[in-house]
Amino acid sequence: MRYLDGEMSAAERTAFEAHLASCGECRQSMNELGRVERLTGMMKIRDPQDDFWENYWKKLFRRLERKTAWLFIIAGAALIVLYALWKGVTDFGEITFVKVVAVIFAAGFVILLISVVRERVHRYRTDRYRDIER
Amino acid sequence: MTVTDGTADISKETLQAWKDGSVKVFEEVVRSAMRRAYAVAVGIVGNAEDARDLSQEAFMAAHRARATFDVERPFFPWFYRILRNRCLNFLRKRAGRREVSIDVLIEKPGRSESPDKGVMRKERAEALWQAIQELTPVHREIVILRSFQELSYREIAETLGISEGTVMSRLYYARKSLYGKLKDVCDDLYREGDDEP
Ligand SMILES: [Zn+2]
Repeated sequence: MRYLDGEMSAAERTAFEAHLASCGECRQSMNELGRVERLTGMMKIRDPQDDFWENYWKKLFRRLERKTAWLFIIAGAALIVLYALWKGVTDFGEITFVKVVAVIFAAGFVILLISVVRERVHRYRTDRYRDIER
Repeated sequence: MTVTDGTADISKETLQAWKDGSVKVFEEVVRSAMRRAYAVAVGIVGNAEDARDLSQEAFMAAHRARATFDVERPFFPWFYRILRNRCLNFLRKRAGRREVSIDVLIEKPGRSESPDKGVMRKERAEALWQAIQELTPVHREIVILRSFQELSYREIAETLGISEGTVMSRLYYARKSLYGKLKDVCDDLYREGDDEP
């Protein structure tokens, strides 16, 4: 491999070439791998058009913005729910329709939040092991 | 030895400013690394649209994680780890029903052009691309990094956190397997002889 990829020093090359001259097996193997390398060396990955790259940043920026917006919305909603819960616990008063709706809404929100957090934690854990994968 | 990391043009000052939270500077970072990010991603996932989305997500993740980036070190290897994780996870989820784009691999320009051979060359590029896409993701990656990104063994080893020995053995198996799939194409090319100096 190092021979093919130009990673050998001059001395190493000479020694290896001497070995190749006398060893049919290595010569055959180098031949085949060299042909593959010759083919790949002729090719490159096509670079997309300019407008692809112009849109690339724009789209990335929009995605970033949207993510931030969602973060604010979730934070805001969480605060409202927390406030409502606190209000409800400290001073519930008589049961009204609005209060029942609020409790249902809060319950749904809390379940959703727990579920999202659990999924995130799970993904983080598995990702960590994937990092180590070789 | 020069570091051909494609982001050598991102100065330390720029990276520091980015870490300090400037979105304007983030744009600069993205613009200087996006071509490379896309090229590696498309090599690994095989599909242009997915490569664009995944590389964008990787930039977003990098932006979120910028506090953990060390400005003394080059940007791309650090970023690449984030990118590769996303690509490999994506492949794992998509296992078996992956769409491979065509026309991603082309012949380098500047070779003697004889029009009658144009079709054959296109087929050749397509055959190689298909064969690369049939490799395992890890072998695909090593071929992309070495043969298309032209990184040295040392750079690949550092980027992937593996030894140079492992780089070599992966390359060996990847190329061996490519030869197995492309024996005819490779041998034809060889017989056709040199139309280059
Ligand atoms: Zn031998």
